[in-house]
Amino acid sequence: MNALAQRLRLGAPAALVPLGAVAVAALVGALVMLAAGVDPLRGYEAMFRGALSVSNIDFAVAGFTAILAMSLAFAIPARMGEYNLGGDGQLVAGGIAAAAVALSVPGPAALLLPLCVVAGALAGGALASVSAPLSTRAGVPVIISTLLLSTPMVALASYLVRFPLAEEGSPVPQTPRLPDAAHLPAFPGMSYTNVGLVLVLLVLLVTVYVDARTPVGYEIRVAGANRGFAAYGGLSVPRLTLGTLASAGAVAGLAGAVIVMSQPFRFIDDALTAPGYTFAGVAAALLAGGRPALLPLTAALFTILSVGAAGMERDVDVPRQLGQVLQAVVILVLALRVLAARWMAARARRAAGGRA
Amino acid sequence: MTGSTASGTAHGSAAGAPPAAELRGITKRFGPVLAVDGVDLVLERGTVHAVVGENGAGKSTLMSVLYGLHRPDAGQVLRDGREVRLSSPLDAIAAGLGMVHQNFRLFGSLTVAENVVYRAEPRRFGVLDRRAAERRVEELSARIGLDVDPTARVDTLPLGVRQRVEILKALHRQAEVLILDEPTAVLTPGEVDSLFVVVRRMAEQGTTVALVTHKVREVLEATDRVTVLRDGVVTARLTTAETTAGEVVEAMIGRGLVPAVNPRGAVSGEPVLEVSGVRMPAAPGASRVQDVSLRVSPGEVVGIAGVSGNGQRELVETVVGLRTPEAGTVRLHGRDLGGLGVRERRGLGIAYVPEDRPGVGTAAALSVADNLALGHHRSPPIGRRGRLSPRAARTQAAELVRRLGVKTAGVAVPLSSLSGGNAQKVVLARELHHEAALLVVEQPTQGVDVGAGEEIHRLLLEYRARGGAVLLVSYEISELRALADRVLVMLDGEVAAELDAADATDEVLGAAMVHSAGATGGGER
Repeated sequence: MNALAQRLRLGAPAALVPLGAVAVAALVGALVMLAAGVDPLRGYEAMFRGALSVSNIDFAVAGFTAILAMSLAFAIPARMGEYNLGGDGQLVAGGIAAAAVALSVPGPAALLLPLCVVAGALAGGALASVSAPLSTRAGVPVIISTLLLSTPMVALASYLVRFPLAEEGSPVPQTPRLPDAAHLPAFPGMSYTNVGLVLVLLVLLVTVYVDARTPVGYEIRVAGANRGFAAYGGLSVPRLTLGTLASAGAVAGLAGAVIVMSQPFRFIDDALTAPGYTFAGVAAALLAGGRPALLPLTAALFTILSVGAAGMERDVDVPRQLGQVLQAVVILVLALRVLAARWMAARARRAAGGRA
Repeated sequence: MTGSTASGTAHGSAAGAPPAAELRGITKRFGPVLAVDGVDLVLERGTVHAVVGENGAGKSTLMSVLYGLHRPDAGQVLRDGREVRLSSPLDAIAAGLGMVHQNFRLFGSLTVAENVVYRAEPRRFGVLDRRAAERRVEELSARIGLDVDPTARVDTLPLGVRQRVEILKALHRQAEVLILDEPTAVLTPGEVDSLFVVVRRMAEQGTTVALVTHKVREVLEATDRVTVLRDGVVTARLTTAETTAGEVVEAMIGRGLVPAVNPRGAVSGEPVLEVSGVRMPAAPGASRVQDVSLRVSPGEVVGIAGVSGNGQRELVETVVGLRTPEAGTVRLHGRDLGGLGVRERRGLGIAYVPEDRPGVGTAAALSVADNLALGHHRSPPIGRRGRLSPRAARTQAAELVRRLGVKTAGVAVPLSSLSGGNAQKVVLARELHHEAALLVVEQPTQGVDVGAGEEIHRLLLEYRARGGAVLLVSYEISELRALADRVLVMLDGEVAAELDAADATDEVLGAAMVHSAGATGGGER
């Protein structure tokens, strides 16, 4: 009981910071709307309706699927202190690989569906894996190599979709429509929301389980807390880096495959990167602060902010960019969390008394 | 090591003159914790005054009050008999107080002279007069007998020299009362001795020095007066010349120190560890190792003595698998460990208590339970067939915490909330729990207070009594004498001497270590 109370006391302020971040962001948004002469309550209502009303929920859930996956792609390596900012490249790699497989391998859905999904995950995973030896052997920080490898991958996909994989006669750089056997089954009555959501939720469950209940998850946390301690305990930091990055890339690749295998069933140039899933995912992961179980909540929040902003623009004439402003404010307040942690640590030290 | 300071020449202030600094009835609480309770402290002019106590006894809090870092809840601070109000260190500096912190506060990329005059720069045409600053440093260092190059960049200097820069900084600002907070924690034995010479010189010139420490030897060697704190109250005020180590220790921990009895164990059987011909060249940040061979048998503690930086760390890292030697073999129970990594070696029976506790031995941000689980997380009861039971980890951690008497608010709190001694017990608990054939221990009582250090020695001896083999690296001769059956002295990467514990007197060991200090050009770390 005592230990539990202790944990609650220590946990409370840490949990308050993300909530505070969201509250401050909401307040800033309200001020902006007031300045623009819009009733903030109506504005937020429009935002929620834009994401959650019956007519919009289908599209919003598809966005949620992608943002949740991308939040995992960031959160998994972040557990060991490595930051994967190459989500765009991994997402696109997965999408183009899934499209290429679907367009070139004939077969029934039972074969093609898993094949495309796996191809997407492998492609994303392979791209992200490159950053592991770059970091552990050549000393290139993961945060930099993932980001830099992303751009050429997006460009490569752009080339593929214009030439080898292009739909003939189309004015838009896009692949032909994938065969029916490669269409992920949609939920009844929905057109965008499909089995992809189930796949990503499964990945989330596995992540939460591995993190809390397996030796590997423990080792990842140890490596994230202190590399010297990890090496001293005999853990292989290179292997853990490779494992987390490959998994992260695979989740991003999976998300790319899911998007391509959903309405409108093509790889369209820019369609995967333009909505900003990657950085919405990064923001959601930062807001969850290293607790994978919170990712669905934070991913949902960022989905509402990005998808709902369009509805707000339509209904109350507030520019949809306000959604991005709110996302930015959340991140800014989270940055203050570092200061808060430092302040708390200093207070704890002082409370511990005159330690020599 | 050799007591080279002129101790016991307490030439306190002339009667009648007010003390240089005085604390009266200082009380300071942090939330529910009463850190200091009604403490009086009198620092008489021109004396070296030891403020001693175990970790958490309140000595740092008290010094922080004197230096304006903490406002006391009650009590007064007096300088030269007049009350002063210190609401920040700036006030304290203005009142002629100086403090050298444990973690130096210097700009690594600036020169010694620039650091010394920072915030009190000699100016010429409105800009820093570098020449004058350098002259000032030379003049100050000559006055107290320090040898410091004013133009050297601080980040190129060893820790001992950086500390001198801190002292010069305080003197430059006209500090008449100088607080040294655990000044020897980062120093090698040779550096400690020269620090004490400097301290003595400063006192002779009228500077009052408060020396915060928990090492009894330093108290006896370098000070005139002693104030002992325990649990936030003063338990003894002593005159160094008239006291004994036993008296100081008793005041610190509330009971007499029971010296660890070290009955020589029955050494038996085949050697557990055999190191032969291990060699590696010096590298940036690593000393060389020259053809070192040694063996450790069951029930035996083999000590490695020597000044820090003579290849001990590199030797140990070779044994545990963190470093690959250029030549030579390491055998455990006769099996060659060449090519095996840390995990495999641990699996074969090596446990390791490293010197660098915050950087290697623990993860401060993780919980006590997580810190205790490392290395046990893949075997029952914590790990079972690819699964890990957090509950089993907590149960085991609670059991280890109880068995070793670690003082902690629970096993879920972060390790950073523990004091140095308790954190060290966590490391020791984890490594002892492996019940490995070989335990490699570096500096087991570094930064640990007397009471906890005594318990750690007892645990190591118990482990030996169970037939364990221990390879012990220590820079403290007293520790080697308390624990080791045989002592090897390392000097510039070689084993310079091998002694039976009975022959390893302070003089013999000290001579070898001083010799080695000369051979490596002083205390490099």
